[in-house]
Amino acid sequence: MSVVEQALPAVRRRPRPTVRSLATRAVGTVLVVALLVFMLGPIVWLALRAFSDVWPYPRFLPSDWTVKWWHTVFADKSLGHTIKLSFEFAPVVTAVSAVICLPAAYAFSRFSFPGRRTLLVSLFATNAFPKIGLYISMAGVFYSLNLMGTFMGVVFIQLIGTIVFMTWIPAAAFSAVPRSLEEAARDAGAGPLRVFFRITFPLAAPGILVAMILSFLYSFDEAQGTFLVGIPNYITMPTEMYTLVLNYPEQAAAVFSILLAIPSVVLMSLVRKHVMGGRLAEGFQIR
Amino acid sequence: MVLPPVAVVAVFIGFPVGAAIAYTLGKTGGPNSTVALIAQRQHVARHGVTLAAYREVLGNSHVRGDLWATVWVTLLTIGVVVVLSWAIGLYVRLSDSWIARTVSALSVIPLFIPVVIASYAILTFYAAQGFIKTLAYQAGWHSFPTLGYTMWAVVIGEIWVNVPFGVLMMSSGLNAVPNALIEAARDSGASLPRTVRSVLIPMNVIPTVIVATFTGIYVLGSFTVPYLTGPSAPNLLGVSMSQFFQSFNQPQQAEVMAMIVFVLAVGLGAVYVWANMRAARRASQIS
Repeated sequence: MSVVEQALPAVRRRPRPTVRSLATRAVGTVLVVALLVFMLGPIVWLALRAFSDVWPYPRFLPSDWTVKWWHTVFADKSLGHTIKLSFEFAPVVTAVSAVICLPAAYAFSRFSFPGRRTLLVSLFATNAFPKIGLYISMAGVFYSLNLMGTFMGVVFIQLIGTIVFMTWIPAAAFSAVPRSLEEAARDAGAGPLRVFFRITFPLAAPGILVAMILSFLYSFDEAQGTFLVGIPNYITMPTEMYTLVLNYPEQAAAVFSILLAIPSVVLMSLVRKHVMGGRLAEGFQIR
Repeated sequence: MVLPPVAVVAVFIGFPVGAAIAYTLGKTGGPNSTVALIAQRQHVARHGVTLAAYREVLGNSHVRGDLWATVWVTLLTIGVVVVLSWAIGLYVRLSDSWIARTVSALSVIPLFIPVVIASYAILTFYAAQGFIKTLAYQAGWHSFPTLGYTMWAVVIGEIWVNVPFGVLMMSSGLNAVPNALIEAARDSGASLPRTVRSVLIPMNVIPTVIVATFTGIYVLGSFTVPYLTGPSAPNLLGVSMSQFFQSFNQPQQAEVMAMIVFVLAVGLGAVYVWANMRAARRASQIS
């Protein structure tokens, strides 16, 4: 490789800037600044608020800074409870979702059976229902099933949103494992279970991990359905935001927002490459 | 193996939606009996079905205002998200400058931020004392309108939340177009706009349709964004249906609104399925 690179002399030279290319660059820069303000602006503005004491209008920065709002939030017992609750729901929902969906993902990827496409599409239908309408319909029946205001009710309502990516992303991961590898292991005398646990599963593990992290985050960030079904017994962090915005000082809500965003930012950064590498996009085409 | 997720979807989506349809038509027995016990202003069908609940909801001028707001916010958001995703996707596909890399990094920021936080951040950013007002004031435009708590803030919030998905879909679609094809078009004298029109757009119909339908369905089913950033009335149907369900104790009316939203979403879903089927048919003809 390096030999080839050396053999090719650097013929590329920067062309002289023309009026047109300068104009293109100027437009590009303006667009980037606009996008920067649109995308990042609200987050930065909120973060500043968490450390502000006095912020008279119209100033770009607070005139007095403080960290007292952080103490307020950490000292509040009920807020601590919602944080704990969020960290209870997310692992439970992820685990339940994995147990239900991963075998199906394997089956969708490895076996062809009548109705396979129909079932895939019907699973997909969970995503095609507008969420809040679906939650309202579910809540109506949850009364009869005694699931309103219960732990399991919230788990079920969050579970619904995780099924699509818990099935589709691992199915794509299983499909990406070359069959020839599995067959080679078979030929060498490995049983089907051994082939699965020594060959298929380890190779598909990254995709499964991505699906699990997305499920965890979905549950952690889900507010609409939890608000409808969990209230008043189960108030998770995102649900608490609804009340916080109305009843607490803006700065306390800003502090709480930052705390709530930390798990998302950390976990999404871990799977960033996979989500952006087109795996998410591929999952949305029916095959 | 595929049974568990299909069963979960059937029990927690199929069954509640079916029960909700029956309930909106005046059937208060079976799974609806508990919710019917506590409901106010119910329309009950003694024999057959009744459309009285639909007549009441659609006859309510506030609800009609919400419906109209839902339709225009959905269409506007779809339009802006599709255009923005195409613009960013194209820019990133055709240019390899630092600007392109910054743009693509900026456009996926919302993936890392929970929707509740994003909505709150957007509200404060566009509020009466927010950044945009401050900027306008400092620039000498003292009468700049406050966007917080208006439908414009809702549109901005929905766009913000949906841009990453659009950009990821479009980038993935545009990256699937081979360089050779673009260069061939350019070499035979096609201008850049012509290349986009005759090569890139025809090859990316499916991703565009996916972005449009999923954005639309997301907006139709959203609650958090309009609840936190929007006005008290008229607002999106998602907000008013949870108010009817929780605050006014009129679950039947709420479920009628859910049905209206489903019908709107079915229209979008049909386009998605049709585009996928067409693409699958074409692919099978080629191979």
